Amino acid sequence: MSTQLTLQAPLVLPPAEVPGHLERLWSDELGSSHGAATFTLVVWEGSWLEQQLVRCGRLDGPITGLLNDTVLEAARAAAISCGLPLSTAPMDPQLAWAIGNLGGDHHAADLRGQFVEGAISVHMPRRLITFAPTLDGAKPLETLVAAYCPLPEEGAGGDACGDVVVLRGGTGALRENLDLVQPLISPELPCWVWWNSSLDEAPEVMTALASGNRRLVVDSSLGDPRRCLDLLVARVGAGQPINDLNWMRLRSWRESLAMVFDPPSRRDALNHVVQLDLDVEGDNPVKGLLLAAWLADRLGWHLTATYAVDGDGSGQGIGAEFERTDGQTVRFRQMPVPVGVPKTHPGAMVGLRLICQSSQGSPLCVILCSESGGCMRLESGGMASMELAEEVVPLPNESEEMEMARLLSGGHDSTNPLLAVAAPIAARLLP
Amino acid sequence: MGAVLTNPLRVGLRQERVIPPQCLVIFGASGDLTHRKLIPALFELFRQRRLPSEFAVLGCARRPWSDEEFRSRMAEALANEVAEHPLAWEQFAAGLFYEPVDLQDPPSVVRLGERLAVIDRQRATRNNRTFYLSVSPTFYGSGCRSLAAAGLLSDPARSRVVIEKPFGRDYGSAQELNRVVQTSAQENQIFRIDHYLGKETVQNILVMRFANTIFEPIWNRNYISSVQITAAETVGVEERAGYYESSGALRDMVQNHLTQMLALTTMEAPGRFDPESMRNEKAKVLQAARLANEDEPWKCCVRGQYGPGGSSSKPITGYRQEPGVNPESTTETYVAMKLFINNWRWQGVPFYLRTGKRLPKRLSEVVLTFREAPVHLFDAAGGAPTPNQLILRIQPNEGAEFKFEVKAPGSGMRSRPVDMAFSYDDSFGEPSDEGYVRLLADAMLGDPTLYTRSDEVEAAWRLYTPLLELIEDAPAQLPVYPYEARTWGPGAADSLLADDGLIWRRP
Ligand SMILES: NC(=O)c1ccc[n+]([C@@H]2O[C@H](COP(=O)([O-])OP(=O)(O)OC[C@H]3O[C@@H](n4cnc5c(N)ncnc54)[C@H](OP(=O)(O)O)[C@@H]3O)[C@@H](O)[C@H]2O)c1
Repeated sequence: MSTQLTLQAPLVLPPAEVPGHLERLWSDELGSSHGAATFTLVVWEGSWLEQQLVRCGRLDGPITGLLNDTVLEAARAAAISCGLPLSTAPMDPQLAWAIGNLGGDHHAADLRGQFVEGAISVHMPRRLITFAPTLDGAKPLETLVAAYCPLPEEGAGGDACGDVVVLRGGTGALRENLDLVQPLISPELPCWVWWNSSLDEAPEVMTALASGNRRLVVDSSLGDPRRCLDLLVARVGAGQPINDLNWMRLRSWRESLAMVFDPPSRRDALNHVVQLDLDVEGDNPVKGLLLAAWLADRLGWHLTATYAVDGDGSGQGIGAEFERTDGQTVRFRQMPVPVGVPKTHPGAMVGLRLICQSSQGSPLCVILCSESGGCMRLESGGMASMELAEEVVPLPNESEEMEMARLLSGGHDSTNPLLAVAAPIAARLLP
Repeated sequence: MGAVLTNPLRVGLRQERVIPPQCLVIFGASGDLTHRKLIPALFELFRQRRLPSEFAVLGCARRPWSDEEFRSRMAEALANEVAEHPLAWEQFAAGLFYEPVDLQDPPSVVRLGERLAVIDRQRATRNNRTFYLSVSPTFYGSGCRSLAAAGLLSDPARSRVVIEKPFGRDYGSAQELNRVVQTSAQENQIFRIDHYLGKETVQNILVMRFANTIFEPIWNRNYISSVQITAAETVGVEERAGYYESSGALRDMVQNHLTQMLALTTMEAPGRFDPESMRNEKAKVLQAARLANEDEPWKCCVRGQYGPGGSSSKPITGYRQEPGVNPESTTETYVAMKLFINNWRWQGVPFYLRTGKRLPKRLSEVVLTFREAPVHLFDAAGGAPTPNQLILRIQPNEGAEFKFEVKAPGSGMRSRPVDMAFSYDDSFGEPSDEGYVRLLADAMLGDPTLYTRSDEVEAAWRLYTPLLELIEDAPAQLPVYPYEARTWGPGAADSLLADDGLIWRRP
């Protein structure tokens, strides 16, 4: 879907004048529109990767905050120049950090918050507030305001409008002006807070923005794994609605695994799992752990031990033991594997192997492989005597904005119950 | 489907598209359909987490209930589900509201608009509305007019109307009703329900045909010799005598459900799976369908009516003895007929449709019989080789079956028929959703693929017009033959096929 610009060129205003200006905007110019009774969307748009790539001249501007193929290509190329492992995912915060050490002082227009993905704008946010932290940490706050109308699509009534507010500046300046933003968020409409950046960043800003019953959207593949999982657990525990894009990207894996056990004749095997092996890209374990935790919850396994295991040269893996409901043990191993072309986000799934061994019948071995790579490691080793069920998991091909749009269209005000139970187990699995 | 263990890994995976925030307005909220089908389906969607939190149901009818009264009536009707999921019900019921509305009284419809604006603010439902007309068919037209007059249908992207069956009583009344509803709303806002299309297995006809390469090349007159479509019920008229007396099997089942099965079985492949491409193809094939003998329609149709039956210990009342039925009623409870489809794919292939109440089994199926092998090389165990048959079972034992000849064990080369079967139960073992769950979700998603378009409805009525006219003008020419309850209909229906050297499949 095409991206759409704001209706008017945004107006740069002194921060203090923003609320008054917005009021006038609605009473004068937008008076005739319904002013969509929809929701407020607050976005923390770090875009460090894009900003750094522009600064060192590897990407032409303007800076938009949208993750497109050009940005990804430039990021992959930069990873090699920075001497990072091939498996470094473009979105890995370490990459933006490493590019930060490369020279260059190029500038480009910063249009963050002014590009709205069509998939999001069709839901007509009443107000879109973007925080755009700049590389220059000392930069003072700049505020921009504009009215905005989705381009009327065929047959759609295009008269319900919203507005766009952008706060741009160094993280310190943004933090100091949080009070400015709170009154702009209507308590009557649902509010989504999308933390579109690493969870290691500006925790006090997140705490202030994602308060009360605002719906938080994060990506647990970005940031320190311990911090990411703990944040999920804390928010779930506090009863705050939280959505995790990293968890959402597991859907095709859950679907493929469920498919294997759709025939009732296979169901019993689920009671006899003895081993679960996962291969993930690079050294971020969160996604794999969420998958293992989901399976453990669904099958009623109880975690008894967890520990680090040494991989063969490709980094540390995680081992664990679970107890099944019948007291038998399930062995779990998750290993990082090197890949030539990593997926966009750190820690993508490469393969899964599940071995089920009941006292009667021959063992069942289920292998799921990502569409993009093989999973030779999981296919090797002593499975000749087993019934083999092997499936290829299709790659979901969606941008952040599309994933976000799907969330917004659903309007769920509570945490997905499966994520709510998987997150605490995943947190305990991390040694 | 039988009780089966659910797949624990499937939980939470059913949903694909999410229903956008909206208010569902049900007219006829105090009626039978609302508490028997609609609210249970919505509660099911809620429990599957497929409803957004910005959601509301506004019940409307003439009687002056309050929100609270509506909630408690619905809770009573769903007592079992509520007892099983008390917490979920509490959350769901918080989104149920009621507004007294008389669809024939414009000021009360205007008040409805005001109430909806309040609900939009309370529940953040974003001015999105689905209006569900679960009222007597006499109000379909006037209901749409009042909604339009109150400005409630003016935004085609944010409002739509669901219309229950029956849509008209004949070609003329369906055309008239289409004219009225189309002056109130655009065609893409109008959702005419046919709950057969909500069945997983009916949708599967499309997937079987168009997701595989092996069927389509033989799905035509060169390979198929005849097709039978059956929808058999074991029940009698139950409490619906009033309605049924004025409708009969032809209107109640054939014009809509059997015709939809016929359309899905015979349509050409659409270019894309989108609502308009799909419905274009269905409309096209229905426009090419004809009674086998339009000039003498009595020669290609048989009507029947069930008489008493059963055993002395468990007697079954005949139709004319049912409460609310005219003791001299000539309403048909069974109808069988022969059709042709005049196009390149189907020219000359007879299609036999039958449906009835108080038949020996509850069952719906489509049976495609293939042509015989050109030369009989082998002796068949049963005398003649059985032609190949593909049986699509809509209900119960949902699935598909293929009959073909194999070598009978032993010396010699005798052939005998065997079955290759696919069963939903064995492959998926999950009960499928009630049709209304799917259809309500689709309407709220604004996806009309499984709803019938104006030209389809009209083509379906036009197809049966010679029969409807005959029943109206010269009923004696299309007599209603009695049949014993729990038998496969009147003997005359067998003659319909016997003339072509065929027999009905005894399922
Ligand atoms: N029940 C089924 O199984 C079934 C199956 C297939 C199709 N259908 C179709 O679904 C529709 C509803 O069936 P039903 O069995 O639920 O009918 P029903 O039990 O007779 O209910 C009719 C409803 O309409 C309301 N109503 C009557 N006049 C009204 C008016 N002027 N304005 C607003 N509301 C009015 C009635 O409430 P008040 O008296 O309070 O106004 C009542 O709630 C019918 O079109 C029927 O053909 C039903």
